[in-house]
Amino acid sequence: MTAATAPAPPRAPEPDRAPPSGSPALRVWRSVRVPAALLTALVVVSVLLSLGTERFPTGRLEPESVSPDGTRALVNVLEQDRDVHVVRGSAEAEEALDRAGDGAVLVVFLDYRLLPGELDSLAARDTDTVLVQPSIRSLEAFAPGVEVTGREEPRLFLDLEAPREAECGLAAAEAAGSAHMSGELYTAPPGTDAVGCYPGGDGDALVRVRDGEATTTVLGTGRPLTNTALDAAGNAALALNLLAADDVVWLRPDPPAQEAGASVWELLPLGLRWSLVPLAATLVLLAVWRGRRLGALVPEALPVVVRASETTEGRAGLYQSRKARDRAAAALRAGFLERTAPRLGLAADAAPDAVVTAVAQRTGDDPAHLRALFYPGRPDPYAADDDALVRLADELDERVRRLR
Amino acid sequence: MVVTGRAVLLALAATAAVALSGLLGAAVTAIALGLLAVLLVADVLLAASPKALGLSREGETSLRLGESATVRVTVANPTRRPLRATVRDAWPPSSHAAPRSQRLRVPAGERRRVSTTLTPTRRGDARAAGVTVRSVGPLGLAGRQRTLPAPWTVRTLPPFHSRRHLPGKLSRLRELEGQHTAMVRGQGSEFDSLRDYVPGDDVRSIDWRATARGEGVVVRTWRPERDRRVLIVLDTGRTSAGRVGDTPRLDHAMDAALLLAALAGRAGDRVDFMAYDRRLRAQVRASGRGSQVGRIVEAMAPLEAELVESDPAGLVSTVLGTQGRARRLVVLLTDLNAAALEEGLLPKLPALTSRHLLLVAAVRDPAVDRMAAERGGADALYRAAAAERTLGERRRVTAELRRMGVEVVDADPEHIAPALADAYISLKAQGRL
Repeated sequence: MTAATAPAPPRAPEPDRAPPSGSPALRVWRSVRVPAALLTALVVVSVLLSLGTERFPTGRLEPESVSPDGTRALVNVLEQDRDVHVVRGSAEAEEALDRAGDGAVLVVFLDYRLLPGELDSLAARDTDTVLVQPSIRSLEAFAPGVEVTGREEPRLFLDLEAPREAECGLAAAEAAGSAHMSGELYTAPPGTDAVGCYPGGDGDALVRVRDGEATTTVLGTGRPLTNTALDAAGNAALALNLLAADDVVWLRPDPPAQEAGASVWELLPLGLRWSLVPLAATLVLLAVWRGRRLGALVPEALPVVVRASETTEGRAGLYQSRKARDRAAAALRAGFLERTAPRLGLAADAAPDAVVTAVAQRTGDDPAHLRALFYPGRPDPYAADDDALVRLADELDERVRRLR
Repeated sequence: MVVTGRAVLLALAATAAVALSGLLGAAVTAIALGLLAVLLVADVLLAASPKALGLSREGETSLRLGESATVRVTVANPTRRPLRATVRDAWPPSSHAAPRSQRLRVPAGERRRVSTTLTPTRRGDARAAGVTVRSVGPLGLAGRQRTLPAPWTVRTLPPFHSRRHLPGKLSRLRELEGQHTAMVRGQGSEFDSLRDYVPGDDVRSIDWRATARGEGVVVRTWRPERDRRVLIVLDTGRTSAGRVGDTPRLDHAMDAALLLAALAGRAGDRVDFMAYDRRLRAQVRASGRGSQVGRIVEAMAPLEAELVESDPAGLVSTVLGTQGRARRLVVLLTDLNAAALEEGLLPKLPALTSRHLLLVAAVRDPAVDRMAAERGGADALYRAAAAERTLGERRRVTAELRRMGVEVVDADPEHIAPALADAYISLKAQGRL
């Protein structure tokens, strides 16, 4: 039921769509080119987006991290006049130290991730070392005798951490002045030439011991080195003074790789493991058994059948969506008059006066009202809004009842 | 090559055996898989070859829609191995072939028959798609499968539901002819014979001249004209594809056409039939007197509505050109679609109505009448208004056709067949054929 108003030319209508032409390859290309283009565009866009965003590693005192507890700011400052080598393992660290030669300083954080042997090997080197919150094992290796003797929480003043004074004879710390040095406290054994700075109740937050040519500096906290704290108090000065060397080797070991143990697979009995082969064969047979059809599907051309009332429904939808009250009212009136006129003994195209008079005689209504109802002027008062349309239908139905 | 569920079970057993084999896993795996492969291959080789089978068909070739037909396939096994098989006789889905598949054993050198029952839900020709034979070896593990051609066509004829109206309409027809048991005088216009007066006869029919010649009172009897020509034209264009209720307009029209053809055949008229949209789709020419219903039903069976605009000019020229010069009643079964008729048919009508009597019969959609009666809220009124508009156009076309001297029958699907029959009977009673 298409194109209800279309004229009927005597020639056969042209098919709307041309039948698929060209070689099969061309047809395949035509059918896949749009999805392929979309997929390509998607890949290109996502690659471009991923190029734009650089993923920074995160973690405490991570030299490449831009988060508050990273130390990228410090590393950037250091890199202006010295070489910084960020290394992730003990072997790399040794290599970097070998290359740097004398005048290098080694910064170690998260040293518990190193094996005891690696710690000893690093400690045996003749290099200045800065340990940040070292483990006890690391303390023994690098600064024998120094012990953890306490811990001091940061003093807060109006929610801001108050810096602490150096109060020692260490030039690096004294020059820097106050710094945010609150954390582990260490005590060096008496009688050594160890220097302690930033004293707390049970020890010092910074301890430097000398071992021959090299010094080992133990920091109870990495806070002055972080991105957030670097620009506060004398933190930056302290960090730069401590790391005063031509080369800085920054060792932040990655977690040691998991050693492979015996997997579940290896623990299974040999028979069970071999049974996967016949199991696969079973699955193949199962697929063939269930998948093989008993003959091909039979195609059937079905005729196209639509509801005969489709055009009428379509017109109703159109009236509704455009709120075509005037047309709806006209159609309702025309239907009423065409049905009523023959009953009154009038022709279907009888004059309005005749119809109004005939209906008024039969129903006793006011002719003027009937005239307004059947033959309204412009604008049609019954097409003003939906309620008026409903009223029109009610009135027409009422006349139908009375004429019956 | 096919495998059965039994083969899968065997493979599963092999898997269990290997799983329990412990350290001998590799060896047991090799043995189990090898054994499985040997058994499967042997079963395939020992199965009777489906290629060698001989198939032949027999059974019904036509049925009415709503009935069932049985088609049988005889499977001959000329090989030297017994055939153990699953057989499927494939038909289009709307034929509803049952059973879908059946087991069959044919000993070597013998033949067996399988029957399939078709209960089509669509009119038209259903062609067998082939017989698939899955032949399984003696172990029941694997086998061979092949689809063999076994052509057969079953034609599903229109159901002719309106047949139940035939006795009633025939008795009305007999009333016209004066052969009715009530002994009512015939009302036709053709002089039939003279017979003796019996009380109750209309005195106006007394033939005074014959009465004067003889001894008793003699009356004339009349009968309706016979050997008139009726041409039933089925419009198979787009308007026939519309579904009224559950059935396309075309099928309602066929039902009405069949009743008319049966009735006119009994009344002694010659019934021709044609189906037309943009070209002649089917045609039945009357060959002598008698019922053409069987031939018309055969011609109707494969017809489907085409989604094209009908070509009234071609229709009119076909009616005028190919079908002799005698006056006839042309019954056009179409839709009273204002657009289609006003643009197409109305301008061509005078050529047709000047020589023939045209009767247009159309199936009215009760859904539109229901829509026109919808009330309650503006949305319902929009629907009612749209339906009123459709009905108004229909009335306009009907009035236009009547003005041009065309008889119009416009009725619900339930009533279209009897209404068309009544229109025919009344035309016949008026002697207008």
